[in-house]
Amino acid sequence: MRRVILAVTGTIAGLVALLSFKSHVPSVPVAATTGGSGGSSSSSAPSSSSSSSSSGGQTTTVPGEFPQGSLASKLTAGETAVDGKAANTAYGPVQIQLIKQNSKIVKVAVLVQPANTLHDIQIGAFAFPKLISETLAAQSGKIDAVSGASYTSAGYIASLQSALDK
Amino acid sequence: MPVRPKNRPARVGARGLLAAIIAGGLVVIALWWHGSLGVHGLAGWLTGAGEILGLLAGYGVVVLVALMSRLPPLERGLGTDQLARWHAMGGRYVVSLVVAHALLIIWGYAVGAHTGVVSESATLLTQYPDVLMATVAGFLLLGIGIVSMRAARRRVRYETWYYLHLYTYLAIALAFSHQFADGTTFLGNLAARFWWSAMYVTVLVLVLWYRVAVPLRSYRRHRFEVLGVKAEAPGVISVYISGARLDELDAEPGQFFRWRFMTRSLWWSSHPFSLSAAPGSDVLRITVKNLGDHSQALARLRPGTRVFAEGPYGALTPADSDRGVLLLAGGVGITPLRAIFATLPGQVTLIYRASSERDIVFRDELDAIAAARGATVHYLVGSRNEIGGDPLSPRVLRSLVPGLDEQDAYVCGPAGMTAAAVRALRAAGVPRQRIHFESFEF
Amino acid sequence: MGTVVSFDVPARAGEPRGAGSLGQAVRWLHWVDATFSPYRDDSDVSRFGRGELPLADCAPELAEVLDACAVISARSGGYFTIRPGGAFDPSGYVKGWAIERAAAIFTAAGSAEHSVNGGGDVQFVGSRLWRVGIADPLRPGRLALMVAGRDFAVATSGVAERGPHIIDPYTGQPPAGLASITVVGATLAETDAYATAAFAMGSAGRDWVEGLPGYEAFAITAAGATWQTSGFGTYLG
Repeated sequence: MRRVILAVTGTIAGLVALLSFKSHVPSVPVAATTGGSGGSSSSSAPSSSSSSSSSGGQTTTVPGEFPQGSLASKLTAGETAVDGKAANTAYGPVQIQLIKQNSKIVKVAVLVQPANTLHDIQIGAFAFPKLISETLAAQSGKIDAVSGASYTSAGYIASLQSALDK
Repeated sequence: MPVRPKNRPARVGARGLLAAIIAGGLVVIALWWHGSLGVHGLAGWLTGAGEILGLLAGYGVVVLVALMSRLPPLERGLGTDQLARWHAMGGRYVVSLVVAHALLIIWGYAVGAHTGVVSESATLLTQYPDVLMATVAGFLLLGIGIVSMRAARRRVRYETWYYLHLYTYLAIALAFSHQFADGTTFLGNLAARFWWSAMYVTVLVLVLWYRVAVPLRSYRRHRFEVLGVKAEAPGVISVYISGARLDELDAEPGQFFRWRFMTRSLWWSSHPFSLSAAPGSDVLRITVKNLGDHSQALARLRPGTRVFAEGPYGALTPADSDRGVLLLAGGVGITPLRAIFATLPGQVTLIYRASSERDIVFRDELDAIAAARGATVHYLVGSRNEIGGDPLSPRVLRSLVPGLDEQDAYVCGPAGMTAAAVRALRAAGVPRQRIHFESFEF
Repeated sequence: MGTVVSFDVPARAGEPRGAGSLGQAVRWLHWVDATFSPYRDDSDVSRFGRGELPLADCAPELAEVLDACAVISARSGGYFTIRPGGAFDPSGYVKGWAIERAAAIFTAAGSAEHSVNGGGDVQFVGSRLWRVGIADPLRPGRLALMVAGRDFAVATSGVAERGPHIIDPYTGQPPAGLASITVVGATLAETDAYATAAFAMGSAGRDWVEGLPGYEAFAITAAGATWQTSGFGTYLG
């Protein structure tokens, strides 16, 4: 029995020591900086689409729940693509592309994401949609409508929709 | 560099083996350290712990197989019984590592992906490559571990346990690929994958060589076959085995072979039995007590039956020395000691401990040998109650063997008796390094 | 039918103000209410439901609605039904259809960009990027998600809607499991009906909407977790 206790405590102690040493390695947060290495050009005429090259981002082909790969070739009038600098995280580089219209972010695409293991992709599939949605919502100066199932006569007054109607 | 005496090939001692195992473990941990990208948050800690334990388990199974590979330096240095004990203890630890690894990875991944544990288990099983195979392997190992527990082994026939235990090879094969497919430590690290695979391949080759090729080669060279069977005493038989070029085996008195008798009921397993007489130039003798199915089958062996013999093994091989030697036998342990008693030159005393007169084997032979060489045999017969105390007490030992603390002692018998005898010898003044023992309950 | 409808018709320089079309749309909605409301005893729907009025004598739009409902009902395995709780009530389709038709009135009048929002179900017309916030059913007053698209419709079904009028036709009870589900598609009538059906299906709705070409869904479960169909990401902006 003594050996069992020794083995268990020794293993746990070893694990704790190893893991706490490794937890001092700082993790670089994902930072999408604008105006980085990618070129960006704006179009003045509404009919021409801007051409912007994404700088060397590799695109993964995981069936997307969020835009993956450059959208620069699918821009519509008035939109420009801006590629952020690739940021190094503990799990690999991340690079974001912003699609802006009239200096407002309308779309976000992920150019480079950690994809070494299925686990990285699994986490990305969860994290990126949330991050993208929050990015867009954070600068929601203009919402055209609110869709929700909360409309009662009284609720209408308080609803965001009424605020928009004003 | 001290010159080794003749017939003393290399042996690895317990301390050396332990050091080697620990060193290997440290290398494995360094491998994880090198490949780890940093540990953050609960998910990071759980996953990191799971990775470390997984790597240690992957290394541990290799060590366990290596212990049982019949590598001659290990067999000579530690002895089969000690190797089997280490394997059993290590096996319990490694199975626990496997279970802990699986649970920690599931939990860590679930926390990292913000899903529940059940859903993450399903994801791991269905979408991560080779995890399903590894899970089957894990359950196999767990099952084998449970069946090997002492409590279960009493209820399970040896045959059944033996076949089940062979499935460990299957489990190791099934689990191998997921280490590379899913283990972050091995991603993009070709050198690590190479050396890890080399480790597995090396042990596989050792097992195939020493457990398969060597016995085959030995049979082709020596052509062992049963000469005849003789009843020594009620419930005790001797089997005589003939063979060619037996002197090439370099078998020493006190050693044993693993015998595989090629009959329909016995061919599937090999059993260890000591040589009960000094190996002759064309005959070997083993003596077996009737203890179960297997020994009963031996009594029915027909002359001419082919035999595969692996060996010689055994660490009870006294070297010639000027000091006197005490041989302490308990029960069936008399078998190897009898061979030593017959051949070892110099001053030898034999103490033979048995619970009843009926259990004494070779009485006439032993008395004859004692008379011929001027040695002494002491029979300590009877249960403790009858004798009125433990007959193997330090006082008794010292009185029976004058100058005991200057001599070498060789002990062989059931595990409990052996342990008690060793303690008594130490208490009687014999230093640890002059006590040699082997017990056959593995 | 007690739903508040908002119109968003941006006036563009050089185009005539659609005051005429706005009145026309409002009159259309009042007519729909008078004909299809199950709360009015004298509406075609109520009289048809009681067996007083044969289908041939009802407004031709009712037949059109019934045909569309039959298709959707079949496609949803009965989860969309015109007899929720036993009584005849096609409101699950009529609401979205009425709004879709209202938006068409503006299109016919020459507007290329407008939206009509009826109680949280919206038809957008126009190739500009429309941005929609999805209300968080578990935290009133807050948005759960931002959705953006062009020329599309957004419909949300959920427990916060007035009365538990979404019933699982197989259990007869309001469906448990989802707090709300948002479906996006090209036209509102079908989108709204599919949202109703998918909500009644609960978690099974995911695979069902996945199998509907041209429609995507985003759902929030009663526990606060979310799921979405595989193509929904393109609407995340």
